[in-house]
Amino acid sequence: MLQVQGLRYRAGNFALQEVSLDIEAGEYFALLGPTGSGKTLLIQNICGLIRADGGSILIEGRDVTRLAPRMRDIGYVPQDYGLFPHLNVERNVVFGLRARGVPMREARERIRGLVETLQLGRLLNRSTRGLSGGERQKVALARALAIRPKLLMLDEPVSALDESIRQTVCAELCRLQRELRIATVHVTHSFEEALAVSDRAGIMREGRLVQTGPMSQLMRRPADEGIARFLRIENIFRGRAISAHPGGTIVEAGGRRIAVPGQRTGEVVFMIRPTDVEVSPASEEIEARGENAFVGELAAITERGAYSRLEFNAGITIVTYAIPGRAHCVFETGGKYLMTLPREAIHVFDNPMP
Amino acid sequence: MFGSSGRDERKEMTAAGPRIHPLSVISMTFVFVFIAIVVALIAADLSYIGLGDVSAALAAPEIRAAIRLSAVTSLATLLLVALFGAPTGYALSRYRFPGRGIADTIVDMPIVLPPLIIGVSLLVFFQTDPGKWIETHGLKFVYTRKGIVLCQFLCSVSYAIRAAKASFDSDNQKLETLALTLGCTPMQAFRMVALPLARNGIVAGAILAWAHAVGIFGPLMVFAGCVRMKTEVLPTAIYLELSVGRIETALAIALLMLALAACMLAAIHRLAPGKRW
Repeated sequence: MLQVQGLRYRAGNFALQEVSLDIEAGEYFALLGPTGSGKTLLIQNICGLIRADGGSILIEGRDVTRLAPRMRDIGYVPQDYGLFPHLNVERNVVFGLRARGVPMREARERIRGLVETLQLGRLLNRSTRGLSGGERQKVALARALAIRPKLLMLDEPVSALDESIRQTVCAELCRLQRELRIATVHVTHSFEEALAVSDRAGIMREGRLVQTGPMSQLMRRPADEGIARFLRIENIFRGRAISAHPGGTIVEAGGRRIAVPGQRTGEVVFMIRPTDVEVSPASEEIEARGENAFVGELAAITERGAYSRLEFNAGITIVTYAIPGRAHCVFETGGKYLMTLPREAIHVFDNPMP
Repeated sequence: MFGSSGRDERKEMTAAGPRIHPLSVISMTFVFVFIAIVVALIAADLSYIGLGDVSAALAAPEIRAAIRLSAVTSLATLLLVALFGAPTGYALSRYRFPGRGIADTIVDMPIVLPPLIIGVSLLVFFQTDPGKWIETHGLKFVYTRKGIVLCQFLCSVSYAIRAAKASFDSDNQKLETLALTLGCTPMQAFRMVALPLARNGIVAGAILAWAHAVGIFGPLMVFAGCVRMKTEVLPTAIYLELSVGRIETALAIALLMLALAACMLAAIHRLAPGKRW
């Protein structure tokens, strides 16, 4: 559906460097990355709002790299929604159709279905000035969708909304996308938001698309330590390979010997997601027998609303999460517990630091 | 969260702290002093003449001719200013081209230049070969009514361009760009988004330029002359009346211009509230 190949663009000291990206028809793709990583520049290039220095952009096999924005059939919703303040809601929604020379009466007919789907009927005659954040977003969406684009670009679509309604709006976006089956790129800096809406995501850093893949893969197998830290994975360890092991390597980190998958030498950086760490009451016997089983002291409990973050000190600092009332044991600060890091859940970084 | 405006913030800021303190007293004193000076001048004018003087002045054929000529020339100037203001302001706001900074400075030059110099420069220009060529090919400016329009235009167009540029600058570019993704050509985006959003600022700027054009005097004396019933506009009429000692008639014309200026200011404030020029 959308193929970006080796896209290059320079803006002052910042540059998009050889960005390549494939998006399938009907896919909901999240473009993730910290502020200033080049996400917005990339979608502005794809929309044709700025002209790429090199590379190509293909939409349904057609090279649009040098085409004007209006020839690309992309519906773009900017971060602040960009509603036209001199037009009422209805005139905003039909704007693209009117620009294409569609008479007002026909334009009204064409947006009817969209207005129903997005429940905009009661707002049509209102000015855009008094609308709530959620309403503004719906109007901007309707305006972008009214031109029946092949691709929908949403630039941080919920960041301007109140925290309390973001999840609901994300769910609504998902539902709409499934209903319309339109390929969508959702730009965000929030991993939770990407997880809530998308099938697949790409992570941008310093003008490069550093990893793409299904969300589960990104979470379990981030390509490097920087991505893992951006995804807020907490258990990242640094150690040294000391011996080979059947199907793996023994690494010494913080005075502990940990079996990691694969044959490694020298310095090894690896991670395990907090949710993959198993915790049970302390047992010296299991610690002595089991692989990657360590007894440690519970150093801190931090309440995070629906769950608690537990930080253990076992020579290395191991973090895990527990849902109050559902844990296998009672957690008390200063108590001793047994932590097991399943070897298959450990991910070793091939390129520790980018 | 949404729709919180700068106005609300200003309200909060001014509400904070005591209303009467040394700073507010000192600054408000300056405001009152200035207003008192202006009001005193207008009051002096009004007390000097009666309604009879005004109606007598308005009945005089030479004054009527001056009013007519002022109206015609300044409206022609307004048309030219409107024609130049929006596209020039748009180009300076949107396009980055070599020498843009210099172009921007030149556009502002008539605002800071003494108007008399514009008149003198025009007179000199029409003595040069290109100027003579223009004069001999059907466009006579020196000591003609066309010359009045040219003077008024050159002295006032900068205000319109500056106002148009400020309107185009104010955050509308993103919306114009967005219109391109919705199917607009650049010309459509200008017509359907940029122009309507900047409209009030452009109109207010044109009115400001018009008000300025009506009051131009120095360059007209040099370039168009002040021949009664021929190149006499309202400011030159005031000068001519004063030179023959008819202060009442001069003041009657001045009050007429004052009323006109007040109407224009009201229109500007209505069209572009809070705009700074």
